[in-house]
Amino acid sequence: MVRNNSNTISIAISGVGGQGVLTLAEILAKTALAEGLNVRVGEIHGMAQRGGHVVCTIRIGDGAKGPVIDAGTADLLVGFEPVETLREIHLIKKNGCVVMSSHVQYPVAVSMGQAEYPTHESILRSIGEFTDRVIEFDAMDIALKSGSSYALNMVMFGAILGTGLVPISKDSALRAIRESFPKRFEKINIDAAETGFSTVKSCL
Amino acid sequence: MAKPQELLEDNPGKTLLLLANEAIARGVLEAGVRLVALYPGTPSSEIGNNLTVMAPHIPNFYFEFSTNEKVALEVAGAAAIAGVRSMMVCKGPGLNVAADPFFSLAYVGVRAGMIIIVADDPSMWSSQNENDSRYYALMGNMPMMEPSDPIEAKSMLLEAYKYSEMFELPVLFRTTTRVNHTRAPVTFGRIPTLPQKVEFEKEPFRFVPIPSVARTRHPWLLKQVEKAREVSETSPLNFTEGEGELGIITCGVSYNYVRESLVEMDIQAEILKLGITHPIPEKKIIAFLCKHKRVVIVEELEPFIETHTRRLAQLHDVSVEILGKEQGYFSRVGEYSPRIVMEALCRIINCNTPINWEEIDDRARKIPEIPPRPPLLCAGCPHRATYYAIRAATRGKAIYPSDIGCYTLSIAPPLETADILFDMGSSITTACGLSEVTDQDVVATIGDSTFFASGLPGIVDAVYNQHRICLVVLDNRTTAMTGHQPHPGTGITGMQKKVQALDIEEVCKGLGVKYVKTVYPFESIAGLVGEVREMVKWARDNHSPAVLVSKEPCALLTAADRRREGIVLPKYYVESETCNACKRCLNRLSCPAMYMNPETEKAVIDETLCNLCGTCIAVCPQGAIKREAE
Repeated sequence: MVRNNSNTISIAISGVGGQGVLTLAEILAKTALAEGLNVRVGEIHGMAQRGGHVVCTIRIGDGAKGPVIDAGTADLLVGFEPVETLREIHLIKKNGCVVMSSHVQYPVAVSMGQAEYPTHESILRSIGEFTDRVIEFDAMDIALKSGSSYALNMVMFGAILGTGLVPISKDSALRAIRESFPKRFEKINIDAAETGFSTVKSCL
Repeated sequence: MAKPQELLEDNPGKTLLLLANEAIARGVLEAGVRLVALYPGTPSSEIGNNLTVMAPHIPNFYFEFSTNEKVALEVAGAAAIAGVRSMMVCKGPGLNVAADPFFSLAYVGVRAGMIIIVADDPSMWSSQNENDSRYYALMGNMPMMEPSDPIEAKSMLLEAYKYSEMFELPVLFRTTTRVNHTRAPVTFGRIPTLPQKVEFEKEPFRFVPIPSVARTRHPWLLKQVEKAREVSETSPLNFTEGEGELGIITCGVSYNYVRESLVEMDIQAEILKLGITHPIPEKKIIAFLCKHKRVVIVEELEPFIETHTRRLAQLHDVSVEILGKEQGYFSRVGEYSPRIVMEALCRIINCNTPINWEEIDDRARKIPEIPPRPPLLCAGCPHRATYYAIRAATRGKAIYPSDIGCYTLSIAPPLETADILFDMGSSITTACGLSEVTDQDVVATIGDSTFFASGLPGIVDAVYNQHRICLVVLDNRTTAMTGHQPHPGTGITGMQKKVQALDIEEVCKGLGVKYVKTVYPFESIAGLVGEVREMVKWARDNHSPAVLVSKEPCALLTAADRRREGIVLPKYYVESETCNACKRCLNRLSCPAMYMNPETEKAVIDETLCNLCGTCIAVCPQGAIKREAE
């Protein structure tokens, strides 16, 4: 039986270096703090950023003391890419929620023919071993339609809020986006977050 | 995203979400520190990244990116001896570089507060070892503090300056990656005004440790440590919390894991949390041991507190079970997590873990193989072109000593141009050693920042002793790996002042290198291959070092510049009709912006990832890679 500090929500974000995982974690946590919540963020910098796999953790609530999320303890796993979602799937707790972008970014080992990219069905099957609650959509497509591939993390920001699992209002999230980025990217970022939000909402 | 400007606000009571590194940069301001010197090193890098932006706005404050850690410690040490508060910052291996002045500084002591921040890296997220730097405090007799989170990183820093001044000794402030790179809400305090320049008061028979002086300073130092221990005994930084039969002694980030574990497991224990881990509060620990039948020690890496605790129990004849690494409950390898603490505690008190981790691990093991995605040279990285040329020119047969930086990633296939590495600057010196005992050609690579930090003595060695080594300086105009800090070759200082940059080619010539050329890796791959061949031949014929400086700015910087200025350049693409799916581009370059279309098996360039270097054009035998018209 998991006691799990019931007043604490643990979110793991998994993606590829350069996709904006760290930025998303920071802005999400800043928004939580603005809402008066206790928060911790765990990041890895340096070597881990150079196009490699990146995972970042956000813990919101009074029980959050350290930044680390162990296997089987994440309420929400946010995957920027299918195999990167699968790589961290062990983090999800029983019946936890997975939000995943279906857009594939091939690892170099696959391009060089040294490894195979698993089929979409097999990825979903493996994820299904851990939880049934999987929301999947093409976030890159939404980002590009919003105006830039760089808005991918804002699509995922909207998607996270769309799950309704995080005690943050959409209004304060949009405010945080406006305050965090240059004005000229505002429309792109807001559109991306709004579409991410409504896409996930419609999947629930 | 973190705005250094926000850290400057004179707004006591304001709470911001800060990395511990940002909290430390703010702490510099609140502690009235007059001088900070450092060489960047992850996981401590953001301290300098913030201070360099803040520095010009703080009156009477001086900040520098020093040439290396030894230099930084000497610069900062002298300032504290002169009588102003100072700080030096480094990562774990950086303190090894600064070890020489470290020991002397403890002997002579300081007149104003001085903190040496050392960021250790359990699990080696971005380091070549996971040394436990706490032994430096023990060996050098320097007081030490260990914060557990970003909030303590600032509050404890302010206490550390007072502690330093109380005993006229620098304080080692030891963090770990999970402290440095955690964000938490941190509340601002007051900012004092900084002192103007001070007059240096001479006291040579204290500050020049010739043997006769050093002999008086060593007993002084030991006496100071004992005085510091008295304060450690009563300091609120060493505190107990909770109640229970079980006792737990912990420090640093592990303290958080212990607290979370007790809640998850729903058990009671008394915690002794140590903030001052040298000199440890011996009386307090003995009293704690006497209160409990079983005491668990939770600390990452080496059994530092554990060994002390066992020593004290033996010395004071306390009958208590001390449980930790010695019995294998905890590992000396890697960072901890709540799970690791819970699993150990469950073994100790003989109960089930609150989560069935074995079952989760089993399920995770059943996942079909996931393709690896290790960090690698970025799309558009100029090092890729240079390494491609080095490998092509030497047909992969030379020995390739490497160095510390992004470019160490060339260890991976297909570039495979990293064969040996010890530490900063070792590319040149290991090349010297190898060239004397083998007949193979030796082509070493070093980054521009590393060249200045620790490369110069190696070059002098190679010139004077006539080692037939080849060196390629990968000059990407920045310290890229740690987050793009300036260095002596960039023409900008830590104070954001524009100065005359040191020219690497001129420096090599000045040191006596006879063969030095600057090349531009994106100009022509074929030309670059020719240049490498020529260098290798010259070094062999002349039995002397030869140097190529391969100059091209870091791709991340040029991409950011383009984005900021809204410049859109013509894109590269693979002409599908011409591509014959030979995969040479994919197999030779391992560029993250290129992949194979699974249906046609032909190469594709992902335009959202491509950084427009054009190196792939030279690699394609079919001429299938093209660029859109302007």
